[in-house]
Amino acid sequence: MNGAVPTTIIVAGLALAGYALLMTALNRRMNVPLLAAVGVLEILLLVEVGIIVAKLAGGERPAGLATLIGYLIAMPLVPVAAAFWGLMERSRWGPAVIAVAGLVAAVLMVRLHQIWPVIHV
Amino acid sequence: MSEPMAPPEPTGSQPDSTRTGPGRLLVAVYGLFALSASARAGVQIATKFHHAPVAYLLSAFAGLVYILATVTLAIGSPTARRIAVVSCSVELAGVLAVGTWSLADPATFPDATVWSSYGSGYGFVPLVLPVFGLLWLRRLTRRAGTQRTTMTSAEDAGEATGSGVADGESGASGQGAEDYGVR
Repeated sequence: MNGAVPTTIIVAGLALAGYALLMTALNRRMNVPLLAAVGVLEILLLVEVGIIVAKLAGGERPAGLATLIGYLIAMPLVPVAAAFWGLMERSRWGPAVIAVAGLVAAVLMVRLHQIWPVIHV
Repeated sequence: MSEPMAPPEPTGSQPDSTRTGPGRLLVAVYGLFALSASARAGVQIATKFHHAPVAYLLSAFAGLVYILATVTLAIGSPTARRIAVVSCSVELAGVLAVGTWSLADPATFPDATVWSSYGSGYGFVPLVLPVFGLLWLRRLTRRAGTQRTTMTSAEDAGEATGSGVADGESGASGQGAEDYGVR
């Protein structure tokens, strides 16, 4: 199976986290480029959800289906929730919230592979 | 975001709120753990409770404590803060107790909880989180004392006296001094 998308999400999530943490360290607030980067991560996660749903629709089933469905629901919500919560903050700690979202996206990909090994990372 | 042109502030616009500044990050991470711990426990209890009942019930308890801490930190009223202190303390005690228990008696834990091995499965975040939570709440309580007389204009001065008192925790956490950009 194609593992390009999860791998891209891991790289993108870590890069986003690094950039956001740099902004926190430099005392920057949320800005448009950072939001755009969050948007890119969101799109990648939605693509991954689509790939997994297509696998499920094709008749394949993981051992822990309930957990997988939970992940499918939670995954696309992470960047959205982080963006809202971060935008409410008018200090360096807004980008710090985005950094968490980037790290979580990367961790979720590794966990997805553990839940259903056909999802290669 | 209503005033995008305002100059960057080292802290949030409400310096003594539990959910602004570093508290914003704290509530975000607490919310993450509230969601993941309780959702995971829910699935485990619903699908395979008899496999590891103690572990799953402890996970569910941890989830409830995280939810309580998230909500009370986000509300930030005096009563909520007191509940937040209690839930962070229970959480810290829980991580230490369950962490020790899981290492001493692995047979009781055929499946991991959030707090097993002091939260090693979650990058030890469960161990660090209540410590930061309690430090944050204590710092706010102290700042509230200095700021009642001189509000935001004297924030730097207040912070200077505050960081003098809080030197021990700044060194311990390695983050205290950075919280407000006083470097």
